[in-house]
Amino acid sequence: MPGWQIFYHELKDKNFEIVSVAQDTGGVKDAGPWIDKANPEYIALIDEQHLVTKLYSMVNVPTAVWINEQGKIVRANEVAFVDDRFKSYSHLDSGPYLEAIRDWVAKGARSSFILSEDELKKRLTPVSPDRLMADTEFSLAEYLYHAGHGTEAISHFKGAQRLPPDNWNYKRQAWLLSDADRDYGTNFTKEVQKLNGKPYYAPRQMPEPANKPN
Amino acid sequence: MRTLFRCLGLIFLCSMANESTGQVRRVVIYDDAATELHTPSPFTQSKDLWMTLAEFTRATGFVVKPQGVCRSELCFPLPKQREADFLGQRGKVTWFNLSEFARLVKQPVAHDQKLATWCFGPRQDVQNGYLATLDAPNFTLPDRSGKPHSLWDFRGKKVLLITWASW
Repeated sequence: MPGWQIFYHELKDKNFEIVSVAQDTGGVKDAGPWIDKANPEYIALIDEQHLVTKLYSMVNVPTAVWINEQGKIVRANEVAFVDDRFKSYSHLDSGPYLEAIRDWVAKGARSSFILSEDELKKRLTPVSPDRLMADTEFSLAEYLYHAGHGTEAISHFKGAQRLPPDNWNYKRQAWLLSDADRDYGTNFTKEVQKLNGKPYYAPRQMPEPANKPN
Repeated sequence: MRTLFRCLGLIFLCSMANESTGQVRRVVIYDDAATELHTPSPFTQSKDLWMTLAEFTRATGFVVKPQGVCRSELCFPLPKQREADFLGQRGKVTWFNLSEFARLVKQPVAHDQKLATWCFGPRQDVQNGYLATLDAPNFTLPDRSGKPHSLWDFRGKKVLLITWASW
C-alpha cells in the first residue's frame, strides 16, 4: 500500500483515482492496521463479504481493473503489483504495468493499453454455474463464520474451494480463519509448492510500454 | 414426583421434535442480506424452503402478484400447471416455496441443514449482465472509518480498482 500511495501522489492531479478494496472477512480488524500504516490519500475500502471478488469474478489478489471516465471497463482482471517484493512467486515485473497505467492516464482512449470491446469480452467470459455456486457457498460460509459458527462454516468454505475455477481468494481467506492444516489438510505454502513452477498468477498479456520505466 | 418427570420428559421430547423437523430459527440470505424467519413451516416433509408471503417479501423484496413474482419492473410468471409447487395454502396463510422459485429463475442455493440457513446467490443473467455493456458493476463499501463509498461516485475520473487482502 505505501507503494501505491507514492504512485497515486504522482498521478492524482490528472483526473485519476485509485479505489482499493480489501477482501477480508475479518473486516477492519484484519485490514485496518495495513490501511493505518499506509495512510493512503486514495480511497481504501473494506469488503467483508468479498463482493468485489464475486462481482468481477476475480480469483486472486492483487487484481486490478481499469475503468474510464464513463464507467466502462477498459482493461480487466490482471495482477497488479506496485513493487517487486513478491516477484519470487509472481514472476512479473511491476514496472511495465505501472508504466502502462501512466500511459493510460496521459492518453486516455488513445493509449495502446486500452483493450477493444472484443478483446475484453474474450477475457471476461461469462461465469459458469459452478462459479456461481462457489460464490454462494462462500457467502453462506462467511455468514456462518460471522454468526459464531466457525466450525460449521468449514464445510461450506470447502464447498466453495472444490468448485471451478481455482479461486485462491476463497482458499487463502478460509485457511486464515482457522488452522488450515487441521481443518483443510493443507496450507498456502504447500499449495504453492504443488504448482511446481506453474505460474500462481495468470500471465499478463500486454504490449511493451513505449517508454521504458526508469 | 413421577408425574413431574413425565412432564419434563414430554417437554424435552417436544423440543427435540422441533429440532428434528427443522423448526429451528430459519435464516435466509438473499442479495447478501440475512433475514430471520419467525413462522415455523407446516411443510415438514418438504426439503424446500417454504415461507409465508409476508416473510418472502421481507426477505427478498419480491411480491407475488396475479401476473407473477415481481420486484419493481421485473416479473417472473409462475408456470400455470405447476402453481402448487410454488404456492400452498394452510388455513388463512399462503406459503411460498423459495427453493422452487430459485430453480425456476436459475439461482444457486447453498444450504446448511443443521443451522437451517439458506443462501441464495445471484442469477446467472444478473451476474453476467455487465458483459453486454462493459459498465463496471457498482458496489458500495465502507472505508476505514465506516463511511460508505460507491464506485459510481467516481464517474468522470479514470479509476484503477485494485483488490488486496491482509492474508
